[in-house]
Amino acid sequence: MTNSEIPGGAVPPSRGKIAERLLPGGEEPDPRFTLANERTFLAWIRTSLALLAGGIAIEAFTADLFLEAVRKGLAVVLLLLGMLLSAGSAVRWLRVERSMRKKAPLPLPLIVPLLAAAGALAAAVVLVFILWR
Amino acid sequence: MLALVTVSAIFLRWLPQHGLPILLLFAVSAGAAAAIYFTQRRRYRARSRGIRKENVDADITAVLWTAFAGVVLGGLGVGIVLAG
Repeated sequence: MTNSEIPGGAVPPSRGKIAERLLPGGEEPDPRFTLANERTFLAWIRTSLALLAGGIAIEAFTADLFLEAVRKGLAVVLLLLGMLLSAGSAVRWLRVERSMRKKAPLPLPLIVPLLAAAGALAAAVVLVFILWR
Repeated sequence: MLALVTVSAIFLRWLPQHGLPILLLFAVSAGAAAAIYFTQRRRYRARSRGIRKENVDADITAVLWTAFAGVVLGGLGVGIVLAG
């Protein structure tokens, strides 16, 4: 039974204004799926935190290895990627939750190719710099 | 929560290189970790009740706050790196 199917015409329990606004319509999905979606979100957040810490680490610890411009560039790329992942993981969580509520197919993960492309770009910059040096 | 605590400790490690502004990063990550720690019992109780009733409300506020903390940490980090 879902919130929208309460017998006797009873008023379904309120989900809160933000939830009503960002997750409108549909039915509450199986709790296991909601919790799995949240675990996936938290896994993305952990990746994002690793990128943020890595960005600061590169800037602080590679002064005698990279030129300043390369060092700052890599650090900023990692930090921006961490920011983007953090925001993207929330958007992804929201889109998956909406799809589950409406029993629609799950959306493709857009942050996966983004993360892969940015990771490859950062690796290429480091490779070129090491070969050129 | 433990990831945030670990990252806040890593941020402190860069204090000699980046100076006092790094304390902002530490404060945001440690604050987010503390917020999660102090609310996790309530959320855990709500989730276990929800599983028993087979109806778990999506915790949208927690998700948005956590993502916001990540974005703020990234923004502050970019600012500190570019200013340093």
